[in-house]
Amino acid sequence: MDTPDVSKGLSSKAGYTFTFLSDPKAEAIRRYDLLHVGGGPGGIDICRPAEFLVDRSGTVRWVNLTEDIRLRAKANEMLAAAKKIP
Amino acid sequence: MLLLTVLSGVPSLYALKGFDQVLPWASLALPALTLVLFAVALSRAFTMRQVYGGRIVGSILGAVSLVLMAGSVWLFVNVRDVPASSGAPKVGQKAPDFTLTDASGNQVSLAQLLAPSASSSVAPRAVLLVFYRGYW
Repeated sequence: MDTPDVSKGLSSKAGYTFTFLSDPKAEAIRRYDLLHVGGGPGGIDICRPAEFLVDRSGTVRWVNLTEDIRLRAKANEMLAAAKKIP
Repeated sequence: MLLLTVLSGVPSLYALKGFDQVLPWASLALPALTLVLFAVALSRAFTMRQVYGGRIVGSILGAVSLVLMAGSVWLFVNVRDVPASSGAPKVGQKAPDFTLTDASGNQVSLAQLLAPSASSSVAPRAVLLVFYRGYW
């Protein structure tokens, strides 16, 4: 949901080198059915947390849809799923 | 009574910011501890009235700590309320393509991310998409 400027500030501050994409109009978020209506500050629509591992052919190989925003996918789970992809 | 009621509110305050990644249930244990401390405080207030004095102040603090505790429990329940996302792509399905703006203002599509990049001729084995709530 954040704008590119916000992402830029965040990634440079935290030293992240992966790609940050902005979806302020929630286009991809809606396409993935991840819109959390009224879940943001002041009742605005935001994105629910979710992680997808997509292989070279564009097929989803692993997915994590948490029911609790405090419980996210752990790095070792994601690495284990990634290692299974040839 | 005063000290104990104030103390009983403290775990609730911790629970309010207790976004524990590993054990979110810990934020329920703290309100439970609050209830125990509250019961102790209540019995002390009635048995040792002259020591702790101020029944009015004690009641107010007691009510405040109960409200704080209820608030933290409400937050705990409410924060779990995320949509089911039944239409989200499942394992084995194609991930829908999209084109979005990156932090430098370039248009980037999922297909592009899955293809060989300019810096390496080999396509990545996979791409990890992390959707997050934003407003960090």
